[in-house]
Amino acid sequence: MSGNGQVYEVFARKKRADRFEHVGAVSAPNEQLARVYAWQTYDEAKWFEMTVAPRDAFAAVNRPQAPFTLGGPGGRAPGADSR
Amino acid sequence: MTESGFRSAEDLPEGVSGHLGNLILALADNKRLLGIRYSDWLLGAPSVEAGIACSAMAQDEWGHARILYALLRDFGHDPAALEHERASGEYHSSELLDRDVASWEEFLALNFLWDTALSVQFEMLAESRYEPIHYKVRKLLEEERFHFDHGQGWTSRLLSAEGGRAALTGAFGAAWNACLCWFGPEDDPLIATLAAHGIVRRGAAGARARWLERVGPLAAETGLAREADAIWASTREPVWECYLAGRRRAAEGGPDEDSLARVRGDRNRELLMD
Repeated sequence: MSGNGQVYEVFARKKRADRFEHVGAVSAPNEQLARVYAWQTYDEAKWFEMTVAPRDAFAAVNRPQAPFTLGGPGGRAPGADSR
Repeated sequence: MTESGFRSAEDLPEGVSGHLGNLILALADNKRLLGIRYSDWLLGAPSVEAGIACSAMAQDEWGHARILYALLRDFGHDPAALEHERASGEYHSSELLDRDVASWEEFLALNFLWDTALSVQFEMLAESRYEPIHYKVRKLLEEERFHFDHGQGWTSRLLSAEGGRAALTGAFGAAWNACLCWFGPEDDPLIATLAAHGIVRRGAAGARARWLERVGPLAAETGLAREADAIWASTREPVWECYLAGRRRAAEGGPDEDSLARVRGDRNRELLMD
């Protein structure tokens, strides 16, 4: 078995009326495990909704670099609450 | 359901209460032991994320066990005695959980096959006429969804990895019979009585079929299950020789010394308060 697959960015919101916030990232071999890891790792709130997407699905719009690089692989999102 | 529900074990018809208490005890013991097996992998899992998942699943299982032991008070048991006072031979947990597991493949046999077998039995209780269990089962199954995804996600991952299929075939093959037997033989008096009174939704064969539906698609890749006309079946017949109906397990014995000490909290017994 090699590597942990790819990095997935994790977004969640506490209430239906809230916007999604970027809460962090997980490394996972596939999407099914990314969903489990996201739910169990970022369990600091009673989320109404959580979603994940592969980091490489995000395209840079105005900056030369793809986003989320500050968080590092599996790291917390920039500006996310420290645990 | 047109038939009325039962609000406590006292209201259950003659003979039903003992059977249901026995089933809940088996579920509680399995949850408690499975929690220990999950906790063993907090630090040895393939990634930090998988370790966190093991930690979360361990907590879930211990929470479920705690709720189930507490529920057994309704059946005349003393939950504290059940949790802390029993000898190994009095546990109704699977032989699969008697000792720690040596490999990630064996862990997955517990996570994917065994945990799902337990969840299927809980699904059978979801609309039980024994009402005190309703809300508890619903919440438990919500948490178990993630256990299933974890087991299935890792099983898929290993099946596509070099050497993974062979390793899984060995580990799943070793756990398979215990899972088939867990639901009981088709004429199992315990499950048949509970089904006849609407305490469980389906009998032994129905529950086993439901489990095969859930694990079959991936188990087929290890040669243990096959599908015909959208019905999943085991390629092996259950072997009942060693099955102990009273303890819902297919081997004598019980949790080993180390497991038992951890399950009962022996090391810090003097700190136990209540």
